[in-house]
Amino acid sequence: MAQFYRNLFLLIVFFSGVIVTGFAQQVNDPLVTGNYTNTTFRTFVEDLEAQTRFIFYFDPVVTDSITVDIQVTAQPLSKVLTQALLGTNLRFAISEEQQVFITSEKQVLTSLPDNFFNNGSKSKEVDNTQLADFYLPQQKKQKKAVSEIKLYEIGNAGGQSKANLAGTIRDANTGEPIIGAYVYIESPTIGTASDQYGYYSLTLPVGRHELKIRGIGLKNAKRQVLLNGDGKLDIDMEEDVRSLKEVLVEAEKDKNVSGLQMGMERLDIRTIKQVPTAFGETDILRVVQTLPGVKSVGEGSTGMNVRGGSTDQNLILLNDATIYNPSHLFGFFSAFNPDVLKSVELYKSAVPARYGGRLSSVLEVTTREGNKKQFSGAGGIGLLTSRLTLEGPIIKDKTSFLLGGRTTYSDWILKQLPNKSFKNSEASFYDINAHISHEIDSKNSVFFTGYISKDRFKLDADTLYRFKNQNASLKWKHNFHNKLYSVVTGTHSHYSYDISNEGNAVNAATLAFGIDQSNLQVDFNYFPNEKHTVDFGASSIFYQSSPGSLTPHSQESLISEDIIQKEKAVESAIYISDRYDISPRLSVSVGLRYSMFTALGPRDVYTYAPGIPKTESSMTDTVSYSSGEPIATYHGPEFRLSAKYNLTDNSSVKLSYNRLRQYMHMLSNTASMSPTDTWKLSDSNIKPQVGDQVAIGYYRNFRANTIEFSAETYYKWMQDFLDYRSGASIIMNHHIETDVANAEGKAYGVELMVKKATGKMNGWVSYTYSRTLARVNDPNTSEVINRGEYYPSNYDKPHDFTLISNYRFSQRFSTSLNFTYSTGRPITLPIAKYYDGSAQRVLYSDRNQYRVPDYYRVDFAMNIEGNHKVNKLAHSSWTVAVYNLTGRKNPYSIYFKSDKNKIRGYKMSVFGQPIPTVTYNFKF
Amino acid sequence: MKFLNWNKTIGWLMMLLVSSCVEPYSPEVLEGPNSYLVVNGFINTNGPTTVQLLRTQNLKEETLPPAETNAIVQVESENGEHYRLYEAGNGNYTIDNLNINPASKYRLFIRTRDGKEYASEYVEVKHTPAIDEVTWEPVDNEVQLYVSTHDPNNKTRYYRWEFEHTWHYRAAWGTTLKYVNGRIELRDRNDPDIYNCWASEYSTTIELGNSIRLSQDVISKYKLLAIPYNSEKIGVKYSILVKQYALTREAYAYWETLKKNTENIGTLFDPLPSQLTGNIKSLTDPNEPVIGYVTASTMQQKRIFIDSKDLPRDWRTFIPRCTIDTMLLANSTPREYFEGGYVMPVYEVYPPNGGMSPIGYSYATVGCVDCRTRGTNVKPAFWE
Repeated sequence: MAQFYRNLFLLIVFFSGVIVTGFAQQVNDPLVTGNYTNTTFRTFVEDLEAQTRFIFYFDPVVTDSITVDIQVTAQPLSKVLTQALLGTNLRFAISEEQQVFITSEKQVLTSLPDNFFNNGSKSKEVDNTQLADFYLPQQKKQKKAVSEIKLYEIGNAGGQSKANLAGTIRDANTGEPIIGAYVYIESPTIGTASDQYGYYSLTLPVGRHELKIRGIGLKNAKRQVLLNGDGKLDIDMEEDVRSLKEVLVEAEKDKNVSGLQMGMERLDIRTIKQVPTAFGETDILRVVQTLPGVKSVGEGSTGMNVRGGSTDQNLILLNDATIYNPSHLFGFFSAFNPDVLKSVELYKSAVPARYGGRLSSVLEVTTREGNKKQFSGAGGIGLLTSRLTLEGPIIKDKTSFLLGGRTTYSDWILKQLPNKSFKNSEASFYDINAHISHEIDSKNSVFFTGYISKDRFKLDADTLYRFKNQNASLKWKHNFHNKLYSVVTGTHSHYSYDISNEGNAVNAATLAFGIDQSNLQVDFNYFPNEKHTVDFGASSIFYQSSPGSLTPHSQESLISEDIIQKEKAVESAIYISDRYDISPRLSVSVGLRYSMFTALGPRDVYTYAPGIPKTESSMTDTVSYSSGEPIATYHGPEFRLSAKYNLTDNSSVKLSYNRLRQYMHMLSNTASMSPTDTWKLSDSNIKPQVGDQVAIGYYRNFRANTIEFSAETYYKWMQDFLDYRSGASIIMNHHIETDVANAEGKAYGVELMVKKATGKMNGWVSYTYSRTLARVNDPNTSEVINRGEYYPSNYDKPHDFTLISNYRFSQRFSTSLNFTYSTGRPITLPIAKYYDGSAQRVLYSDRNQYRVPDYYRVDFAMNIEGNHKVNKLAHSSWTVAVYNLTGRKNPYSIYFKSDKNKIRGYKMSVFGQPIPTVTYNFKF
Repeated sequence: MKFLNWNKTIGWLMMLLVSSCVEPYSPEVLEGPNSYLVVNGFINTNGPTTVQLLRTQNLKEETLPPAETNAIVQVESENGEHYRLYEAGNGNYTIDNLNINPASKYRLFIRTRDGKEYASEYVEVKHTPAIDEVTWEPVDNEVQLYVSTHDPNNKTRYYRWEFEHTWHYRAAWGTTLKYVNGRIELRDRNDPDIYNCWASEYSTTIELGNSIRLSQDVISKYKLLAIPYNSEKIGVKYSILVKQYALTREAYAYWETLKKNTENIGTLFDPLPSQLTGNIKSLTDPNEPVIGYVTASTMQQKRIFIDSKDLPRDWRTFIPRCTIDTMLLANSTPREYFEGGYVMPVYEVYPPNGGMSPIGYSYATVGCVDCRTRGTNVKPAFWE
């Protein structure tokens, strides 16, 4: 219905446009007289020009075969021309400026519709459409595919040789900004990618250019631009409906080679949705884990190790707010609702200077902004979870909202189980995303994001686990001018959990942990000229954590209340980086970040005798700090360097070095992200971690950029990350420094990847060889582990192979087959038993001396789409997937139990069977 | 598909989620011989020193730990004095009294039968203060036992305790009969007492305490163990001998790690255990693991008794319970019942009319009648 009204409206506008033009013609219609017999068109025109003083524009090539045979006396010019051109395919138009345009097939519109250049006006879209309809009558249904042939004249000529062009790239259907769309001209090759606000800024030579724009899942677009001076050009792009499920990475077709960034992966939500997962639930983290250099901690876990880093060394950002727990139900589901996401970016090396605070990687998750044009929704119904997303404009083209929710009904299923202990179990979670974006004017926009996720898991009516993430972020983007914009971001992140034991009143108690962080950040992007892009800014984070509390439920409880002192700290940083394109072949980016961390009181801090390991026995004193008093301060520079050199048009070499500092540490000496992990802020007893990485890579594209090959190798040093002393106890430890050891680490590896982004058959193959080793060899700070030699860290998995392949049989039917193999992770085994004079004891091997069995898994999925009519009420699709097709029992956990004086090993596999799932997805 | 089946399918999925699948796991290395030297014992400076040399075993083996025999074991001082220990069987090597100089440092030197040499680090001699008292208290249906000590010089700080407890217990049924060659006879005074016995156990846990956070070197009521009210141990009379050792800080750390490593292993979210390095090294092959930590100290001990009569009156302390049955001579012979030795006669059964000769015998299993199946009927020398 809406479509009908729109068409009707367009029709009316179209006719009114014609009427206006006709009226203009009457005013500018001088009378002519003449007798033409077999006159050439050129002579005819010259005569008319002489009579009317109008200037004629025409293409001699299409007119030179035409002769004119008419006699006229004091006839209006238009009538004369109509008569003269009768029977030819030529059309004419007369402008108010006394110009006559002769064109073949189509008439030229001599005046642009009102408000054509006024971006703020509501009627813009309509007018554009009118133009489009006028020129492209056979494509009327294609709503806004406007301006491809229109010449945009930008700026006032000022004699300069270069000018800046900037603007926002948006989705024509939803008005949402498009991230990572590539805007470029071909000769000379100058291009850039739109940033997270869809904003691009390009410095080009003045003159006429054909600007090409490409984006993932979007139709390729181009704009004719006549650049006189600095100016603005917003670009609307149309979604390529056919590519609903196709991985189309054309946007960055040659980014692999020509982009400066290395060690970075961007995944679009379309790509992510293709990869089959255990419960049919699209899971961004699990897809990220298939990328080279990223290893999964274990099956069913979303913890990841990036290039030999531990799980706490990843900065996970949701619209710039830190997410502490990116998973639901102990890692079986990711905490991100796929329907609200736009893209995921992972930086493994060459981390931009604006990020800091974690050693190994930055995972930036960006949500969509919501449809600015019309109300729409999407959802999915799966075996265990369902989700629904609604979005739409609040003020059309200015303000939009996006609201997404997801929940599980596994509770209900547990109740159906015959087993009594399951009947008393509960497992539920939900998450809600809300996003509002508002464009105040063409220079100012604000964005608000809210996120909340909650988990509840109860096993056998006894122990209740509850987890909570709460995040909010508010951003204000301000464009000073084409070349400079700023973003002010304020975020707050909260993560907490509690574990209550309710079974027995005598030991009923709750163990709780919580951390809050408030962050204020100002970022500037400055494009001084076409060779430089400068980013600079400052940020400050205030942390507050409650490292642990144990509270008895009632007077009967024998457990005494125990609360670990709260911790507070401030982490601040300033940064500047400059990307300098020295020549089309060579680019460098130089950045410096200086970060500073101060642990603050009020707190009582233990001091230890110097020169001997920190143990309970070497405690010397307790120092009390008053509120706000600095306990310890650490600071240091973080260097970020990267360079790219194009060897040929389709191959390049990139190099990077970066240093990062991390001031907080996750305490967990189990191999997986376990529910009792806590975060510890650095203080006078726990030093910050420092990591350095050098990486070098070779990139080459084949077959017109359809096949990308990349080879990256890296070497990493890490200092002062935490490893655990033998038998360390982590929970409710008031002096954790006595149970941890400052480890140094090194990691190195080679990552090879071949990616075919387009075509019926697409996907990627990656192989990684990597090692990550740790060493604890300072007898002055802790016990020495493995005689002070390097030992494989918990996540050292040298060989890793991943194949992600998609095959599209037709527009509506596609399949996906994935294969993953990796070396088993290291494990410390009990290798013998002995009698120590009083009891049987177990002798363990050196730390991480052995490995669990290798991991491999095959997954298969089918996507069946409904038809692709653009104007259906709802688009829907079915996904049928089988996770772990071969049913391999990959070890999740290996443990040993003493059983009647015998020690037996057990292997627990979480998904040891093929797991079929069916999910129904819809979009309206 | 019936709704019921559908239910099962979902249930199966959920079981994967919450219970998953567990199967035995036995990597190759666990099958290997893994026979490393184990050194138990300490250098006792006020009594006999006994060192036991054993070998580690494969986790699956069920035999007794193999003893290392025919080894040369010496206590050596930094100054070069050395004392050879004499083999006493079962891998034990012993020497009565060492002439230890407390100011010197000592080590243990071992040369095994196959010529490999091992030595501990030189360790300082610690003086162990006397145990002040061993006490007990009935708390919440159990008897808790504590040890208290102090060092007036504030020099000991780290302590380890071992204990050996012994208890008097009785068979469920006292019998006046015995089975001899197909006949039931009355027991006489030459027959052994099979009603009263004593059993002993050594501590199996590592008990450690320290006073580092106290201004004085005092250990007050360290809880050694707890015995449930209905345990057989306190059914008649109970005794505990507590042995106290002073430790160096390093030795304390070793024992503490050993305790953490081996007293609770493996559930899903447990900390990773890891290897433990003692202070004994192979001189022949530095990479060969050797298990044990040698310390040198005096030993202090103290014994107490707990009589069941002193326990709270409302406690229903242990009473052995056993089923008893009857065999009738009319249906069977004593040989058929008692020759195998699985059951023993308890008392005679006479006819209801008051006849003089038994018509049968009540009987119970050996474990119910002969207390020696679980201990010794020899009263310990220290028993009061």
